[in-house]
Amino acid sequence: MKRLLAGLAVFYGLGIILADLIRLDFWLITGVAVAVFILASLGRSNKYLFLPLFLFLALLAGCLSLKNSYRLSGCHIRNFVSYNHSIIYNVKGFISSVPELKYGRYWFSLRAREIQVDRLRYKCCGELLVKMDFARELNYGENLTLIGNLNRLYSFNRASQGYQDYLARQGIYLTMSIKDSRQIVRPGGFSGAKLIKSCFWLRAYLEQVISRHLPALPASILSAMVLGQKRDIPWLVNNSMVKSGTVHILVVSGFNVGIVAFIINLLLKILRFPHKARIILTAVCLLVYCWVTGATNPVIRATVMGLVYLMAYFLKREPDIYNSLVSAALFILVINPRQLFDIGFQLSFVSVLAIVYLYPKLKSLTRLEACKIKILKFIGEGCLVSFSAWLGTLVIIALNFRIIAPVTVLANILIVPLATLITLCGFTLVLSGLIYPDLANLLSLPTAGVITLLLNINAALIKLPFAYIYF
Amino acid sequence: MFNFTPEERRVALFLLGLAFCGLILSNLIKLNCRMAGVAYPRIQLAKLDINKISLSELIGLKCVPVKLAQRIIEHRNARQAFGSLEELTEVKGIGQQRLEKLKDIFFIE
Repeated sequence: MKRLLAGLAVFYGLGIILADLIRLDFWLITGVAVAVFILASLGRSNKYLFLPLFLFLALLAGCLSLKNSYRLSGCHIRNFVSYNHSIIYNVKGFISSVPELKYGRYWFSLRAREIQVDRLRYKCCGELLVKMDFARELNYGENLTLIGNLNRLYSFNRASQGYQDYLARQGIYLTMSIKDSRQIVRPGGFSGAKLIKSCFWLRAYLEQVISRHLPALPASILSAMVLGQKRDIPWLVNNSMVKSGTVHILVVSGFNVGIVAFIINLLLKILRFPHKARIILTAVCLLVYCWVTGATNPVIRATVMGLVYLMAYFLKREPDIYNSLVSAALFILVINPRQLFDIGFQLSFVSVLAIVYLYPKLKSLTRLEACKIKILKFIGEGCLVSFSAWLGTLVIIALNFRIIAPVTVLANILIVPLATLITLCGFTLVLSGLIYPDLANLLSLPTAGVITLLLNINAALIKLPFAYIYF
Repeated sequence: MFNFTPEERRVALFLLGLAFCGLILSNLIKLNCRMAGVAYPRIQLAKLDINKISLSELIGLKCVPVKLAQRIIEHRNARQAFGSLEELTEVKGIGQQRLEKLKDIFFIE
């Protein structure tokens, strides 16, 4: 079976869905899994018996991993917090994310290490979301002691249930509001990972390079496309791109990872590095880029796919797009099976799968290969790629966002080539900004020009009749 | 010396093309300041003028609940126009936190 990995991933995913739908006891599933494992071991010489049992084992593994993810460890901070809001807690830990300003408040997550309730101290683990009402320069990895109420996340309605689930998928079950500077004690010291700190520093530095050479709006769009930082994108721009179905260009995707790999490979080639050293160094740079951009689902998918391809070249094996895609899915789901219910995860994988599966079929159906006019063929191919992705994600978008956007196909044909150009210009701008800032000033003009053109086209497209329909 | 691979040639051409575009745009902006509009986006693409937006547009955007949108427009009509975005807090239902969100959406020309 050529695509055993794909079968494994499908059954593992089905197991996760099954465990979410049916309330089965963890130990009952474990018992069944042990029995199936023994049967598979005994029947391993019989391929007709072994394969179904093996796939069933993958299904049970999916069930077990989801059940296990719901169970918090005994020392988790949530276990020390009561529903009584009047209790003041004293939590020691370190900042595990970069503090971000959003809607006038600073948001960051704190990895807890010790909690004090009354006069009792306990060692603990887990993360909490901190909302701070005033400005204070805080950095990733800094040790902090926070004093205040800890709030368990409730779900009063469907909207808050969605937010609660979203935070739970990130491993966050508690929030703390900091309204007074006396609630924060800074004992000093650093507890984070130095590599991650360096990646965050590099990201902040690159963001500075972008904002130094571009006005606020183009800089926010370029930061999103090159560094995956969407926080400064105006609501109106984001909303209009959702309406035209082109919001996917505002995230770091496989294309960006491909560009990074291409640039690194080219530089190493010019420096006459041997073939295998080039592959290893490119893989290392891809991992660093993944951390710099915040290691979100689309970036992890693209990075893992890129690494699988690089490994195939390293081992001189033929790479397979389906196997690389499912290995990326398995990588994410093994770490956190609840990501299967994340809309970003679903859209990222379904769109790639739709393009990979539907595009060749549509191409042969429309007999595009027979077209001899190159420009027509190029436009036709663009249409088919957009149409495949739109078709693949149509149901997910309609169910989650309650919007159907017929303008998506046209918008993608016009906007995706521009987005590609912006990404290329963005990487050139960042690199030249690091090496030769005067050249970056010159390059910033066409980059801003293309971004302006993209925004104007998008604004015009959503004004077309029946461009999008909310239901 | 110029023994470039096809990839390197493409990269060199792209860089040169980009630099030429930059030079042309820079020159055009110096000649006519209106050309800056070609290179840099107008604020209207990112934010809405609170004094010009209609009720139907505001409701269609789904950035605020319908009743709040009606109150914003009524308040604006009653006082002719908003002088600053901070005046939005005079509308019932807009606190400091919502104002911060609205500042991301609206501007005053």
